[in-house]
Amino acid sequence: MPAKLNYTDNLKDYLRIDPTIESDVVRELSAHIEDRSHELIESGLPEEEAKAKAAQLLGSPRLVARQMYEVYSQGSWRQAIFAALPHFLVAVLFALRCWQNTFWLLGILGAIICFAIYGWCHGKPAWLFPWLGYCLTPVIAVGILLIYLPGSWAWFAAAAYIPLALVVIFSVTKQTIKRDWLFASLMLLPIPIVLGWILALGVGSRLPWLEQLYEVAPLISLSFAVLAITVVTFIRVRQRWAKVGILFVIETIVVAIVALGDRNAIGFGGWLLLALLASLLLLIPALLDRKIREAEEKSVELSHKSPS
Amino acid sequence: MNYERELLKGSTDSLLLCLINHQPMYGYQIIKELEKRSNGYFQFKEGTLYPALHRLEKAGFIQGKWQRLPGGQERRYYYITAKGEKALAERLVVWQDFSTAVALIMQPATG
Repeated sequence: MPAKLNYTDNLKDYLRIDPTIESDVVRELSAHIEDRSHELIESGLPEEEAKAKAAQLLGSPRLVARQMYEVYSQGSWRQAIFAALPHFLVAVLFALRCWQNTFWLLGILGAIICFAIYGWCHGKPAWLFPWLGYCLTPVIAVGILLIYLPGSWAWFAAAAYIPLALVVIFSVTKQTIKRDWLFASLMLLPIPIVLGWILALGVGSRLPWLEQLYEVAPLISLSFAVLAITVVTFIRVRQRWAKVGILFVIETIVVAIVALGDRNAIGFGGWLLLALLASLLLLIPALLDRKIREAEEKSVELSHKSPS
Repeated sequence: MNYERELLKGSTDSLLLCLINHQPMYGYQIIKELEKRSNGYFQFKEGTLYPALHRLEKAGFIQGKWQRLPGGQERRYYYITAKGEKALAERLVVWQDFSTAVALIMQPATG
């Protein structure tokens, strides 16, 4: 049944909603095509033509998918606040200057790991991805801190660690892209911010590290509070284009806050590189998504062409 | 043409609630029933019906359940909920008041 298969395949390409709802929608529209083509066959159309006509009468799969996405893309306030919670906790951590409080740190770390595992195993809901991002952030942070190892140890450690870290980040990102590439962008959102702050504090060696941290703590807190608000807005907005726009605009604002905080320690070039990295981290999931879909389409085409 | 589309757009939810309140139905059946009851006036763009149904379901006005037909095929039937019944009753009152007021202005006075 090529017409039906093509229509539902096209629909799936654009849907990007919860997999359980997606399967219901696809099943429902397949049933509709079945009913309509049955009616058309009874009115005298040949079977193949009837199926093609039935799919055509449903209208553009892209439009149906977009309307369906807008029905399900808006999370509740509870989901939005829960999704923003990790950024908010980090903002409070720096606002209250309690990053040396073991109880706070272990509490946040425990919550991040527990909620990330729970969400990953329970259908990857929208609130999961900011939590998941924080599971990846230590992987990046450790990689950067290796630079400060004495002598040539830094190079050896970095050479071993960076490929490993990239494999971990890539495989988690790839899994997330299968759900929706926008969630992968949301997940990677704090990475340039954490990177920026670590570099800013490391490069600016006017004061001891801890004193610098005390000095810029309000700005660090502000940057994570802005991220928290971004996540709430992202979850509450329905339109896809608006979600993409919010991520771009806010990431730029937060990178500007990092630049303000380091008193030009990383310089304009460093800031520009950071802004570029932030944009790349937002765009790479979209490009990877396209590549993955193209590869899947090719493999489906090949399987159709190969003799059975 | 645009005016007619806008009118239909504004009434879609009420029309769907009204039909489903009459009896539980699945998507294709709803389209056929709308055509039949309106003497062919309401011809939905078929694909846009399903987002409308899912929007009503997400709002808690209707609930979809997969059911097996006598022929063995499965279809997703939509049932109205208590919240949906209440919303429909409110909309019917508003609609009746509105259509009476419009008729009073637009129809030429007789007698």
